[in-house]
Amino acid sequence: MLVPLSYNLRSLFVRKSATLLTVLGIGATVAIVSGILALKQGFATMFTAGGRDDVAVFLRPGATSEGDSQFSRDRGLELIKTVPEIATGEHGPIASMEAYLAVLLSPVRGGVTNVPLRGVQPMTFELRKNELHIVEGRNFAPGSDELIVGKRLVGRIQHCAIGETIVLNKTPFKVVGVFEHPGQFGGEIWGDLDRLLTAMNRYGPNRIVAQLKPGTVIGSVDPKDVLTNDTPPEPKPGSMAARLEHDPSVPAKVYSEKEYLASQTVMLTGILGGLSFILGLIMGLAAVFTATNTMLSAIAARTHEIGILLATGFRPFPIFLSFLFESLVIGLVGGVVGCLMALPFNGLKAGTMNMQTFTEMAFAFRVTWQVLLSAVIFSLVLGLLGGAWPAWRAARLKPTEALRGRA
Amino acid sequence: MPSFKLVWRNIMRRPLRSVLTVASLMIAIFLICGLRTLITTINAGVEHADSRRLAVMSATGLFVELPMNYQAKIDRIDGVEMTTKFQWFGGYFRSLKHFFAQFAIDPVSLLAMYPECQLPPEQKAAFIANRTSCIIGDGLLKDPEMNWKVGDTVPLIGALHPHPDDKAWEFQVAGIYHSSVPSFDNRTMFIHWDYYEETLKRGGVEPGVGVFSIRVKPGADVARVIADVKDTFQDSDQRVDCQTEAEFQRQFVTMFGNIPLFVGWIGTGVLIAILLATINTMLMSMREQSSDIGVLKSLGFTDGSMFGHMIAQSLFLAVLGGGAGILLSWATQNAIANGLGANFPGFEVKNETFVLAAVVAIAVGIVAGIVPAWRASRLRCVEALRGTE
Repeated sequence: MLVPLSYNLRSLFVRKSATLLTVLGIGATVAIVSGILALKQGFATMFTAGGRDDVAVFLRPGATSEGDSQFSRDRGLELIKTVPEIATGEHGPIASMEAYLAVLLSPVRGGVTNVPLRGVQPMTFELRKNELHIVEGRNFAPGSDELIVGKRLVGRIQHCAIGETIVLNKTPFKVVGVFEHPGQFGGEIWGDLDRLLTAMNRYGPNRIVAQLKPGTVIGSVDPKDVLTNDTPPEPKPGSMAARLEHDPSVPAKVYSEKEYLASQTVMLTGILGGLSFILGLIMGLAAVFTATNTMLSAIAARTHEIGILLATGFRPFPIFLSFLFESLVIGLVGGVVGCLMALPFNGLKAGTMNMQTFTEMAFAFRVTWQVLLSAVIFSLVLGLLGGAWPAWRAARLKPTEALRGRA
Repeated sequence: MPSFKLVWRNIMRRPLRSVLTVASLMIAIFLICGLRTLITTINAGVEHADSRRLAVMSATGLFVELPMNYQAKIDRIDGVEMTTKFQWFGGYFRSLKHFFAQFAIDPVSLLAMYPECQLPPEQKAAFIANRTSCIIGDGLLKDPEMNWKVGDTVPLIGALHPHPDDKAWEFQVAGIYHSSVPSFDNRTMFIHWDYYEETLKRGGVEPGVGVFSIRVKPGADVARVIADVKDTFQDSDQRVDCQTEAEFQRQFVTMFGNIPLFVGWIGTGVLIAILLATINTMLMSMREQSSDIGVLKSLGFTDGSMFGHMIAQSLFLAVLGGGAGILLSWATQNAIANGLGANFPGFEVKNETFVLAAVVAIAVGIVAGIVPAWRASRLRCVEALRGTE
């Protein structure tokens, strides 16, 4: 026969202060872990949203990101014309050369930061028609000294508002529009490729993006291998990626956009994942100790009651379950409190440096239901681990001694 | 004055609880040391900056190269004693797993301007003499696959600047430097500018300079030199920004964005959790001691001495846990630094951080003891002896 659950729930109320302190302690631990998970989630969403399978990213062979990739304008053009897998629309191949550069700008909060600046060709907007939207003002006119800014920069970086002027090297550019994009572009500044190349004294684009014909298989290397393998991995033999890597006229490294973005985020995702794991483990250990203390003390104070339970015929195993349940309740309530503490972070804007291109990345905390679920599971594990040993001790008490009040 | 023996006996009344509390405190203090060090490490570059050194970079951004001929123009500015140049090489060894920084530099002026880059004299001479040689920081050698010795040849894949012959760049290790300050990275490779320039030009690429570093003459007016440098290039193709080394380093700090703030929040969370846990322990143990306190009070111990008695127990646990945490943090800092590697160079727990951790531990001990101590001092001995608590 099981011990009635109400016995444990009422006991928690009797020892209000100890229960409350333990719940809050677990809550603080859970809040921190879910905060970091929310940061990781926000970061992952920012980078992978808009990462498409049907868009190819061409880099120079050996390049690790668009920051250190470089093509001459002629070669870029040749690549767009000659790669047969690139899809063609009404106005020719759906492909664009892109220049990418970090520029030093001032955040509103002060200091300086590197903001990604991207020079694009008109075909880009055909390529991105379903994901990128101008939400304010208008698009820049091709060939003009005009810029559009990602919505996530507005209010965070100085001069990122319609009508303002951003001076790039010595050329003033006018901000004429604000655009929204769920992925990384939403934190960038865009302008005309050739105007930006001229203003920045650059001779060519950094990468080429293109829409692929349906059913094209790229066969590029797994981005994770690039960071974990000892030697650079090779693309699958016979694939499009392998052919282009050794192309005699324009050699290029090709990824799908999704894979390219994954290759850029492997490191920070790993760091955030590792951080939440290590902090969760270390702080979780401390929280388990606290829960154990609370439960041991609860059991010590109730030795007499346990004696009565045993004397009235309850078996040790139901008593074990009963105290484990009590500890799980503490863990669960702590988890819910922790989630409540973490919720206000949802949507909070964060900015940090992309270690691969040294540019500012703007993203937001995202407290998703997955984050909350992991937090609650984490708190239940804490309760379980904290309660196991005390509950076992309670179950092992001898009825006569327990009735006499000796633990 | 609380009796130490009495405090000890009460701590040992529930040895398991005391051990768990001390262990939690140890973990919390260890975490606080580690988190605080993340922030002090980010700021280390600013603190160790040399006030006589200035940095010149493109006003557009760090990734825009300056023409090489700017150096001669800077040298002519009044108050400039010496200049040297840095260019990011951007290569990698075997794969991105072994990431570290490489710069093309001029050996003579670099070693003259940066005394914190310490190299035995014979290695210094060998580096200067051999154009295809390099020097590497002793921190790099901790990676077992990059455990190079003087005389080894290091092949690098030029991600940013491919070798014109479509092969790996090769550099002979002429020396292994030691950095005397945390702000000068000990995981960097320095290669000869002349060899770098010549090789790039062979492939038709005109090299540019990322940063020029200036040392001003002793007593020179730094603000005026900065203004002169900016003015000199006002109408050139690339305008420049000139900053003191401290400001230059601070720009990297601000690039971390609000990460330091989040680290601070995590630290606060840890602090709250451990404070609650210690209060919990002290309340539990105070409850169990109430009949003892009744006895002591009826023997004539004052309310004040009972207050001290409880605070002393709390403080004892906190000092033990805090001390263990500080010890743990001190003992593991090298392992953590190796684990962080190139992603976060220079991790080293400062003495100030240990002091801060000790203060935090003592404060937790006092604060956690206050409520139980106050209750103990207010306890009426009749009730306490009756055991109604």
